[in-house]
Order: sequence, then structure tokens, then C-alpha cells
Amino acid sequence: MKLFLSGNEAIAFGLIEAGVRFISAYPGTPSSEVLPTAVKIKQQFGIGGYFEWSVNEKAAFEEATAANFSGLSVAVVMKQVGLNVAMDPYMNTAIVGSIGGFVVVVADDPGPHSSQTEQDSRFLAQFAKIPVLEPSTPKEAYEFAKRAVDLSKKYSLPVMLRTTTRVSHSREDIAVGRIEDVKLKPEFKKNTDRFAATPHFRFLLHKELNNKIRAIKGKPGFRIFYNGNRLLITSGISFAYLCDIVEEFGLHDKVRILKIDMPFPIDELKLQEYVDRYNDVLVIEEGYPVIENQIIDRRRIKGRWNGFVPSEGELTIDVIKGLLRDFGVLEFKENTVAVKPPFKRPSLCPGCGHRSAFFAIREVFKNQAIYTGDIGCYTLGLNLKAVDTVHCMGASVSFAFGFDKAFSIAGDFKYIVATIGDSTFFHSGITPLIDAMHNKSRFILVILDNATTAMTGNQPTPANPFNAAFDGANPISIESTVRSLGVEFLRVRDAYDIEGLKTDLKEAKQYIETHSKPAVLIFRHPCVYTKEGLSLNPAFEDVYVDEAKCTGCKICINRFECPSLLFDEDTKKVTIDLSTCIKCGQCIYSCPYNAIKVKK
Amino acid sequence: MKLVILGVGGMGSISLSKTIASMAINRGLAVKSSEIHGMAKKGGLVEIQMKIDEGLSGVVLQGEADFSFVMNKDYTDYGQAFLKRDGRLIMADRDTVEGIVRDLGDVRFVGSFLLARFIGYQDVFREDDALNVLEKLKEGEKNIEAFKRGLI
Repeated sequence: MKLFLSGNEAIAFGLIEAGVRFISAYPGTPSSEVLPTAVKIKQQFGIGGYFEWSVNEKAAFEEATAANFSGLSVAVVMKQVGLNVAMDPYMNTAIVGSIGGFVVVVADDPGPHSSQTEQDSRFLAQFAKIPVLEPSTPKEAYEFAKRAVDLSKKYSLPVMLRTTTRVSHSREDIAVGRIEDVKLKPEFKKNTDRFAATPHFRFLLHKELNNKIRAIKGKPGFRIFYNGNRLLITSGISFAYLCDIVEEFGLHDKVRILKIDMPFPIDELKLQEYVDRYNDVLVIEEGYPVIENQIIDRRRIKGRWNGFVPSEGELTIDVIKGLLRDFGVLEFKENTVAVKPPFKRPSLCPGCGHRSAFFAIREVFKNQAIYTGDIGCYTLGLNLKAVDTVHCMGASVSFAFGFDKAFSIAGDFKYIVATIGDSTFFHSGITPLIDAMHNKSRFILVILDNATTAMTGNQPTPANPFNAAFDGANPISIESTVRSLGVEFLRVRDAYDIEGLKTDLKEAKQYIETHSKPAVLIFRHPCVYTKEGLSLNPAFEDVYVDEAKCTGCKICINRFECPSLLFDEDTKKVTIDLSTCIKCGQCIYSCPYNAIKVKK
Repeated sequence: MKLVILGVGGMGSISLSKTIASMAINRGLAVKSSEIHGMAKKGGLVEIQMKIDEGLSGVVLQGEADFSFVMNKDYTDYGQAFLKRDGRLIMADRDTVEGIVRDLGDVRFVGSFLLARFIGYQDVFREDDALNVLEKLKEGEKNIEAFKRGLI
């Protein structure tokens, strides 16, 4: 059966075909499509298994580890920063080793396109001393997923499958194999020396791990392409780009390509022997110099260590063409001027409840507050000047705590307004809120609850009464969770009630002036990007600008920042883009002249 | 063959690429694509690059494409930039788009109209290749109706 699959979809097919029956994940671009595909495969082929979102990557990793210790083949899926969250169990599982297959699927985001860092997870494979396979195409992603399961089973250790945005989000025709239901026989054979190892046994486990890696090293995954006398060492998506360039410009007799499927572990001596046969060697790998650093003598190598290859940003096909030109194997005329698509800054959707919440926050606190933000759609509160910091998952709460303490130890007081989404709050906002309650910190925490993980494609959150397969799940109440910590000041309100939000914010402001505790506000409005959210969203018959009243001051555009509000350069008035407006009418609050009107 | 499809979120650009991919697979041709979505969801640029029967990556550079499908006129210049010297821009005029939205009820059917134009400009795929895929789509009849409007 040939299917047109993305790299991420291909990974799900490969894993399940190879017998993986337990996958846990937390959504994050560019990794998010693996788990939903697994859920679809399960439904389509009627197989048993547990494929589900977890509350965060650390929990996902630990859950999968226990399932693996029961003898099941498992996988965990996350983006590169998700692996940072899972580092603790990740490092440990490497030491303890796996029982059935254990694949750590990590999607890196060079560029970055939608991440805080460009980090290369292959380094973390090396750090944990586990093998990493790096596919160049969706077809390889499918094949390497199966290979990762087999390798893991053979050596009893987790194997990383490292993909990048371009592989994850490319599609290719792939002939997938049969998927059959297998009878699972979980069994946990107790062995405290291994599963509850004391430091003494950890040393022995570490030794075992080193032996495994040494054994794997003896079977390097080197593949050679083309016949030239100048060597290019590469892996991952860069290999696909290089092949396209070789074919396009007929470089078959100019370069020789050494493709490395497994960037760690590498047999350094074998690699060095190969390198020594060439006078000119260029290493092109997407990410950090992982392969490059394993070359023993790099003095004749062109790569990142001597600045030949850029150390930041994506190695796009254009960048690689430039490198080949500098390397002296390719002549081409630079594209005169590359045309860029019309710039549109990222913006919250028209009708998004977050926008109303940020607008109200900004109206109440203006320039008086420090605004700590978080990871998700609401990072775009930046545009409404209601976000000053965005660091990592949950840091809006811990940053609010840290800022408050920093000012208070100097006897100073600052208003601090933290904003966090529902999924991120569950992921890692709860723990710093516990800290804030326990250690008497004063700030306002606004939980922007749109009942979904919107930014990554509307995955369910623990507050939803359904899971990844849309089966019933127990919804976790955000307000009960907050209240259980002893938070006294808690208000819940629909984010479209802007006047009400302002009242809540003003009361919260008074509360923190007199109490050494956080005040929590839940501003709730379903995401309008979901079909259901949009169909249930209140809409006026019409929302329009009264041209006689519009002064062209652009206050609505600047402060409310809805992409449906456009400035007409001819009339010098604001107009509404009917192709994107969902007629929520929230913008009327932003016009000081009451020029935006609604028809009920 | 190298193709680029440019549209905005929710317009059916990805569906169009999948239709063309199915046509290629049915003919036993290799097909690859690379999708780039902007951060903005609604109204954001969706850019799909495709290679049929060539290449290892799905990436198409500016100045290389045989065809550029432009589903939103804001991206006309950008779509043009992808074309090689004798490449062809495929777009629908305003009357066609409005007609499709009025008669078929959704702007997403414009993709099938453009597909028909594409069929007329090359000789790898024929009308039947497209119809065989379109008829299996959820709203096959409407897609075929839009397709027929585009035939030249």
C-alpha cells in the first residue's frame, strides 16, 4: 500500500509496524503529528495499544519507561525543548537500559521556525550514550523508525530517532507494510539491582552501557555516494539537499558523499581513515557539529570549528549551495534578488479570547506592570504589549515569583501580571504556583483557558473530557486545582466580558497590594480555531466602522491588534476585512470614539 | 516536474497537493513535497513545494518551478519568482473564485479548478488521472464540477 506520508506520519507507521504498542508524547512543533497518526493507525487497523498525550514530556518519558520495563516496545515523542523537560528520566533510562524496543523520537527545529532554541538533540544522544539514527527523507524516517526498534531490542538500550522540521514536514510516497494485532504479554521481572539500583550498581550499569555502545560502534552506518575526489560528510536532511544539488548541477564526478545514518556512536578510527584519503573534506550537518567533533584530526576539515559552515540558522539548500561554491566544486550565479512573500507578522486569530484578555490587562496596568508570558499562542500577547518575557514552559509563573522576590528583598513592590495557557499550566505552571503560595509571593496569574492546546494543532488538555482518540477522559478542573493550593483570590470569567475582566483585574490588583499571596484569574473562552469553538462563538449580524466617526487614529489597530482591522490609506479610515472577521465584535471596546459598531 | 502551491490557511492548498500526489502515485511516479506553514494560523501563508519523478528532497527553489499555483493574489509576485523561464503561473481570476464560492459554497473547490488548468498545460497527467482521484474525495461531485469549469 503506497501512501503519501509526512515524515512524522511515516515515523508512526514504522514504529507500530515494528511492534511498538505504547507511545506517550506532549505536543510541540515540529513533532506533533506522530501521536495522532498512531491513534489513527490503531483505529484503522484495530490493534491494541496505548497511544496518548501526557501532561508533559517528563511524565511521558517515565510512563513509557515503566511500560517498557513490562516488556512492551515503546516510544516517546517530543520536540527538542521537550527533551530538556524529560532529561532526568531520559538519562536514567539510558543507564538502566530497555527491555523491549524503546525509541526516543525527537524533532529538532533548526531555524528555528517555532522554538526557543536551535539545539541539536544528537548531542543529547551522545551525552546519554545512546545511539541516534537520523533520517534524510520521510521514507528513511519510516525505515529508521523500524531500525531504531530493532537496534534497541538487540542491545537493550533506548535509541533516539532524530528528525528535523524539514523531514517531519515533508511528504513522500511510501510503501508501508502490514500492521497486525499482536497479543501483548506484559510481565515485570523484579530486579532491584537494576530497577532500583543504588550508586554501586549504577556504576556497573554504566559500564554495561559503555560496552553496548562499544559493540554498536563496530557496525558504523556509513554509505558512499558519487565518484568525485572531494569528500562531503553529511547526514539527515542535508544529504537530501546535497543529492538534489549534485543532480541539478551534474557534480557526480566532482564530489564523493559519505552519508552517516547513525551520527552517534561513530567508529572514530574508521572515520579518520576514510577522511585521510582526501585532501579536501567538508562536513555539512544540520544542527551542531556532532559528526564533525567525532573526527579525531579536524585540522584539514572544513566545517564549523573553523567558521567555514555557519554555526547558527538552518542549512537550507541555498546555504549549502553557497558552501559548495566556497568549497570550489560548484559555480552558480546568485539568484538576483530572492522574492520574499508579503510580510505578515504572526498574530492571534480574529476573535481569539486571548486578545480580549490581553487588551483588558493592558488597559488596567498600562506601563505599571512587569508582564511575564509563556509558551503558546498567547506568546503573541507581545503584540498587545502585555508580554515582556517568554522563556520556557511554565516560566511565566516562576518568573513572576522571581521578579516579586527580587523587588521585595529591596523593600520595593512591583505589579507583576503572569499569563499562561491551560495546557502549559498543567505542563509546568502548577509547580511554581505551589512555590509562590508556600513562599508568599505576590503577583497576578491569569490563566488563559481556551480548552485546547491551540498552538500545536488543538490537541486535548487534561481539562478536556476526551483524549487523543476522542474517547472519554476525566476532565481536571483548573479552578479546583488552584483552590486546592490555598489560593484565596480566584475569579473565573468569559474572556469576551472585557468590562468584567477589568473589574477582576482591578480587584486582584488591590488584593496583592495587601496580601502576600498570588491572585489567580481564569479568563476562559473556547478557541475559535476549532470547528466547535467557531460554531458556538457569539457572532453579531454585522460589525462595521462608522466612517463619520472614525478619526483614523489607529488606536484600535495598535492596541487591539486584530488582523481583521485594516487601515485604508486612501480614506485614512479603518475598515474591516470581511474575509477574516468572525463578527465577534470585541474590537468595539478598543475605539475611544465608538466608531466601531455592531448590528445585532 | 517541480511545482509550488501558494495559498492561505484553510483554502485547500494542502488538499490540492495531496490530490496531485495521489495522481502521481497512481501512475507509479515518485512524489515528494515540503510544507511550510507560517506561525499565524488564520490567513497565514501555506507554501507547498513538490517534486514529481525527480529529486530526493521536496524542496523547490526560486527560478526552478515548472508550475506555480497561486491561490491568493497577494502571493502572485512570490509565485512568479519560483518559475523557471518557461514556467507557468496558474491562478483563478476573481470572477471564477466568486462563482465557485457562490455555486459550490466553498472557496476550497478553487483548487480543483486550478488542477484542471494544470492538466491542460502539461503532458504527464491527463484528465482521467485527476477525475479518478477527485471522485474519491469527500465532496467528489463538487470538486469535479469545479474541475470541469477549469478545463481548457
